Order: sequence, then structure tokens, then C-alpha cells
Amino acid sequence: MIHMKDVSKIYENGAVALDHVNIDIDKGEFVFIVGASGAGKSTFIKLLLREALPTEGSLTVNGRNVVAMERQEVPYLRRGLGVIFQDYRLLPEKTVFENIAFAMQVIEAPRRMMQRSVNSVLDIVGLREKYKCFPSQLSGGEQQRVAIARAIVNRPAIVIADEPTGNLDPETSWDIMDIFTRINSAGTTIVMATHDKTIVDTMQKRVIAIEDGRIVRDEQRGGYGYED
Amino acid sequence: MKIRTSEYMIRETFLSLKRNNWMTVASVGTVAVSLFIFGMFLILAMNMNKMVASLESQVQISVYLKDDLSKGDRKDIETDIRGMQGIATVKFVSRDEALQRFKERLGDQKFLLDALGDANPLPDAFEVTVTHPDMVRTAAEAIGNFKGVESAKYGQDVIQHLFDITRLIRIMGFTLMALLAGATLFIISNTIRLTVFARRKEIAIMKYVGATDWFIRWPFLLEGMVLGFLGGVIAVVLLNSVYSAIVVKVYSTLAFFPLIQEYPFLIYVTLLILVSGMCIGALGSTISLKRFLRV
Repeated sequence: MIHMKDVSKIYENGAVALDHVNIDIDKGEFVFIVGASGAGKSTFIKLLLREALPTEGSLTVNGRNVVAMERQEVPYLRRGLGVIFQDYRLLPEKTVFENIAFAMQVIEAPRRMMQRSVNSVLDIVGLREKYKCFPSQLSGGEQQRVAIARAIVNRPAIVIADEPTGNLDPETSWDIMDIFTRINSAGTTIVMATHDKTIVDTMQKRVIAIEDGRIVRDEQRGGYGYED
Repeated sequence: MKIRTSEYMIRETFLSLKRNNWMTVASVGTVAVSLFIFGMFLILAMNMNKMVASLESQVQISVYLKDDLSKGDRKDIETDIRGMQGIATVKFVSRDEALQRFKERLGDQKFLLDALGDANPLPDAFEVTVTHPDMVRTAAEAIGNFKGVESAKYGQDVIQHLFDITRLIRIMGFTLMALLAGATLFIISNTIRLTVFARRKEIAIMKYVGATDWFIRWPFLLEGMVLGFLGGVIAVVLLNSVYSAIVVKVYSTLAFFPLIQEYPFLIYVTLLILVSGMCIGALGSTISLKRFLRV
């Protein structure tokens, strides 16, 4: 699914965000990316989404060569990826249903599919009853569940989550992790960058630790490994 | 583009026009004023062109003959003129005939000629017309050098003046239009920038879920084109009524004045202005999208 070979990213100001990184993530894996702020986690995610290009090395995501890709191919790369952020990024003037349907609308999905697909992802995140609500009427955990629904409504092969539980209390965070586990068991690859030690330690999934732009640890069934 | 996508684009466009109501009014107003002035200069310049052309085509060369020519000499000159290229008509006007015409033209004031007594100060002349207006000058110069010809004159001063005025109007028109086009582009691109800014979160999400560049751009481009088009419509309505009023006014006082007929002339002007409006609008949003929408 994701093949990163000898990838370095050096920003224009000279900062080295990633330093000769090699990562292979297979279909159906659940991977935590851990590391302190500024270690290179965000850059890693930016490269996957092709928001930034590697300075050197090769990167394939979902069978597409991200480095050699033409600009107009980028949207099609992103259609295969579902993205979730710490701050939810919902549109405040749209309802729950509209926020999710929006993701289908902009890729010009057939309208007759919309109702069914949105309802089915609302079931997965458990918000079927709240489809008419506006984001401001929802709790943080519920808003993040809407964001997850939006990320998976187009059936991406990979879900990329950047600190998805960063703004949530522990209990709500476990609801979110529960949803990720279910999505993952249906075959979707999950890449989640996080600071949450408890979650990483408890889930016992693959852990890739980044420090100063380098991979310092890559363990199947690992723990967070830091005391912070 | 798919039908439901067009629906979406159109809905987004008009939503945005409504959301930026004051900027929309300001942009449409600026476009309207600019295009109105552009149209006025266009109409003025085209009418001046027509006037010059019609005056030139009417221009005749008056060939004044020396006093002491025999009938044979006169005939020779006439034959020589007819033998030149591009000559349409040659008509002899005797000095008596010329005096008679002069009297008629003076009308009530013909008593002025009484001072001359029986003497006739006017020479014999040929009136020569040419097939092409631009031959007037060369023909007149050539004939002026014929033996037995005192001078050959045409209304060169009048025509030169008209030419100069037309050129001045064109230069002023172009300068003003360039300035106005700049101002219009500036205000439209600003309006679109506000729209882009107001919708930046939405745009970011659209990019993450894989909307194509053009899917994101279209509503903004449409918005600019609608702004330009609406401004154009206002300008066209104003221009049509102003020109019709001028035509009525001029024809009621100066029936022979060579104004361009309202139709189909105004239809061409209307089309040109509406298309220019939309182009300016599209260009304005393109500038803004290039600078503020990194897709």
C-alpha cells in the first residue's frame, strides 16, 4: 500500500524533516506513527497526501508513484485516501449529512448512491439519528465521528489520521479507536499519527517511531516506548 | 461536465454573489462604468471614421484654369484629366456659371456682389471627382502641375482636421480604456479573493477528498464572469438608450449628418460589450485564483 524508499525531505529553510526513511506498509495493516512534535510525523503524512514532495527517494502510495505524478493526477491519489485531522475540519454551515455527502459531491459521485452511502457510514460511526444536526450541536467526539464518516464514505483503501484523539477525553478517544478497529477489520489500511501513549500501549499494533526525521524503531505489536 | 455538477456550480456561484453583496454591487458598478465609457468611445470613434469616409468620398477637386486659355487648350486639359487613373467624373464649370452659383449661395446677402459691378473675378474651372477617396491628394497634386491650370484644390484642411480629431479620440479612448480595464480587473480579482478567503476551509476539504482543480476553480471563474456580464448588461442598456436619444436629436436638426444607423450597429456593440465584460470577469478571477488558490 505504502512503499517509502530512502525518502528525505529537506525544507527550503534547510530544516531536515525526514532523513533517508524506509517504510513499507501492507494492505490491511494498522500502524501507529509516534514521535515528539517536530519529529517528522506531519511531514510523513504530507508526503503521503502529496501536499509536499520528497527531496529525494521514491514513494508509492496505493500503487501510484507519488514522486513522478502529474499535478492533475493528485486528486485521484487523494480519492484513495481518507484523511482525519485533530480539529475535525467540518463545514459549520452544513449538516452532518451534507458534510459527509460533500465528499461524494466534489468527486462527482452518482447522486443515487449518495443517500445509501452516507447512511451506511453514519451507521458505522453510530450517528444515524443525528444526520440533521449542525456540527455546533455535536460534542467533540461526535464531530470527529462525522469526520471519520466523511473520510471513509468514498471507500478509500487507506485511512490517514493525524492525531485524531488529540482534542478528546480518554473515554471518547476509545470510541474513536473502536471505530478505527472496525474499519481496519473490514480491510482498510490505517495509518495514525499520535501522542497518546495509553492508546498505543493498549492496542498492541505495529508502531513506527520517528525521531529527528529518522526511524528509530519499527515493531509489530509494539508499545509507545517513551515516558512522557 | 455532468448535469448535477453544473447545478452545484451554479448554486455555489449565486450563493457567493449573495454572500459578498456589497463587493458584488461595487464590482458590477465598476464594470458597468468602464464598459459604458468604452462603448461611448467606440461609438464616437466609429462615427468619426464614418464621417471622414463620407466626407472624403464626397470630396471633389476644383481645378481652376488660367484666364487666357483658348477653347482648344481647355479641351486638351480635360482630355488629360480624363486620361488619368481613378478619375470618376470631370465637369466643366464656366466662370459665369460659377458666379451664378455663388450668388445663390449668398442668398439674402448677394447685394455684396453689387460692388463688383459687371466684373466677374471667378476663373473657369473643372470639377473632378475620383473613384477612391485616398486618391484625392495625388490626383489634385498632379493636376495642379498641368500647363494652363492655375491651381487644384480640395478640402484637405477639413479632412486633415477630422483625421487628427479621430486620432486624438482613439488615443484618449485607448488610454482611458487601459486604465479602466486595470481598475476593473483589480476590483473583480479582489471580489474573487474575498470569496476564496471566505471559502478557504471548504476548499481545503475539497482538496483532501480529491476534488479536481477545475472542480474547485469553476465556481470562482463563473462568479467573475457573472460579475462582468451583469456590468455589461447595465452598460449596454445605458449605451442603447443614450445612442438612440442622440440619433433622434441629431436627425431632427441635421438630417444629412452621417451617423451610423442604430441597427444592426448597436447589436454588434452590445455583443462586443457583453463578451468583453465576461472576458474581463474571467481574467479577473483567473488573476485571483493564480495568486490565492493553490490547488
